[in-house]
Amino acid sequence: MALTTPHAYRRPGFWRRLRSGNPTEAQLGLILLIPAALVLALVMFWPIAQVLWQSLHFERLNVPARGRPFIGLEHYQRMLWGSDMTWDVRHLLGWRLLAFAGAAGLWWGAARGLARWRTALVWTVIAVLVAGLWMGYHPGEAGRWNDARFWNAFSITLIITVASVAGSFLVGLPLALLANVESRWRWLVRIALLIPWAMPRVLVGVMFAWLFNYTNGVVNDLLGRVGIAGPLWLSRAEPAVWAANITIVWATSAFVGLILLAGLQSIDESLYEAAMVDGASRWQRFWAITLPLLRPSIAVALIFRTLTAIQTFDIPYAMTQGGPGRTLETLGIYVSNTTNSLNLGYAAALAVALFGMSLAITVLYLRWIYAED
Amino acid sequence: MRRQRHGIPMRIAVVVGTALLVINGTFPLVWMMLTSLKEENELIRIPITYWPEAITFRNYVQVFDQLPFARFMLNSAVVSVSATVACVLIAALAGYALGRLNMPYRRALLTGIVMTSMFPALVLLVPLYRMFLGMDVPLLSPLVAFLHDLGMTFMPTEVRTPNLLNTYWALIIPYVALSLPIATLILTSFFQLIPRDLESAALVDGCTRVEALFKVIAPVSAPGVVTAAIIIFVNSWNEFLLALTFNTAQNMRTVPVGITMYQGEFAFPWATISAAITVGVLPLVALILLFQQKIIAGLTAGGVKG
Repeated sequence: MALTTPHAYRRPGFWRRLRSGNPTEAQLGLILLIPAALVLALVMFWPIAQVLWQSLHFERLNVPARGRPFIGLEHYQRMLWGSDMTWDVRHLLGWRLLAFAGAAGLWWGAARGLARWRTALVWTVIAVLVAGLWMGYHPGEAGRWNDARFWNAFSITLIITVASVAGSFLVGLPLALLANVESRWRWLVRIALLIPWAMPRVLVGVMFAWLFNYTNGVVNDLLGRVGIAGPLWLSRAEPAVWAANITIVWATSAFVGLILLAGLQSIDESLYEAAMVDGASRWQRFWAITLPLLRPSIAVALIFRTLTAIQTFDIPYAMTQGGPGRTLETLGIYVSNTTNSLNLGYAAALAVALFGMSLAITVLYLRWIYAED
Repeated sequence: MRRQRHGIPMRIAVVVGTALLVINGTFPLVWMMLTSLKEENELIRIPITYWPEAITFRNYVQVFDQLPFARFMLNSAVVSVSATVACVLIAALAGYALGRLNMPYRRALLTGIVMTSMFPALVLLVPLYRMFLGMDVPLLSPLVAFLHDLGMTFMPTEVRTPNLLNTYWALIIPYVALSLPIATLILTSFFQLIPRDLESAALVDGCTRVEALFKVIAPVSAPGVVTAAIIIFVNSWNEFLLALTFNTAQNMRTVPVGITMYQGEFAFPWATISAAITVGVLPLVALILLFQQKIIAGLTAGGVKG
């Protein structure tokens, strides 16, 4: 009796298994991922590739005669340091000298093993950004760097990012702590948290433009009642930045609050009881238990908030169209304005800069999160 | 947090804080509603009035008279509902694969999908505009042109994608893509919560994997699907930039874009605008009132896991 089979047993091949109608889990998974992959490829990755390619070309739709010649990195040169930049000593003065000195110190320390490379890198970036915000990125009219408008957009984007992210956490954390208290009114609290999240950002901008109206707005009326003369919120530079930031914080702190609320609810109750037995005060419990255990939630909220803040468009656009002047012209609004003036090549380069900033922040945060694990 | 009994000062602080929270969240919208009930000339009076002196509904009539606002609502509804249905279907398939199946690299795949949510819609604007304007199809267009040149004159001279601008498609397609990452994240975490035994039991009873998906998993995952659907719907209803750029015909505008059309170059008819805002956010407020807990569960799906 031939007990041996004519062929050695083989696992059914990939396609045979697939055709038999009983695919393996991995096969089924791949098949189920196809629609999502197609959509993302068509609407996300293909356009990004096109923008990258476009940014290397000259294209102005209002100058059709020049066509669409390849110009390499010229747009980026114009954006970041200008096509006619000369390394004048004056360019190194001011904050640049300070930032360079500080950064050099850090890197020297890193090389000597006194600090970690990543710490040096992160603090260099922070020093350059903060010093630039303080004293300006662009040499101004006297200087010869080209696109002052880009650096203006960059600064205001940075200001809005730092201020509104910090603000939404300062407001969002108390919101979460309050929403976590058991009460009969919890449903009302939930609604109050969800309304700012669900409102269209443009309409939030329109709404707050009315609240911040100089003569008939409710903000100035309330300020007047306590004896403060409200400023011309939306037609003076500094108040406009405040107004835009307050509006963005209102619209986004609820989201931060919701994420932190979920984190709070996952904290084990017994930890607090143990701490109370040990006689920890309310503050001590907050600092020693609540905040450390909230870190994952804080990280998630921080990532989402920073990314949306860098892309800020709707609210300043709806409130003042980027004005007064170009005070609130964020990077997003600048991209859109450049597109509307039909300079598609340069708009693509600006869009790449915006995308690059988002990418850098995401990578930084992801590394931070994975380092925590 | 269930804590020990609070002292009196703490209780007062909580009550005051909660009151502030509720006022902070609802005041701007309430103020808009109050504004929409005032006459236009009451709005420019100083000092301003808080409660409308004479309640009027003329502003609401104005909203529908000046611009085809009902049409805006219809457009928004069609676009948002279609995008929601398509996105939930696609994201459910992907979420099932990433949440339940033993796949290689599934954490990396999920991270990759979620990372695409950082692509700013602004960056996609110009290439998508070109795409929707009509473009050559890679491979197909050159092939057809080549065959035509060879003498196959029955072939069309060129093949281009249709012009989708000012159609619903121009908004549905990007909205599906923009909401796909977050929807996939939500559904993946919901699928992970369903006990595996449920599916194994069905497999033992002789179901194939696909049958088990439809007969066992689909009914149990309904809450997650509802949650994802609401969030996609809200995202799509609120989107502004793409709608502003792609659909420029008056009767193809969506609600957020339409509302910004009431303001003139210098004149802001605040009464009409506030009435339009009130009507335009009604569907959202209704959703919040009906589904508050589900929305919160969905929003925090990504946050809990870290």
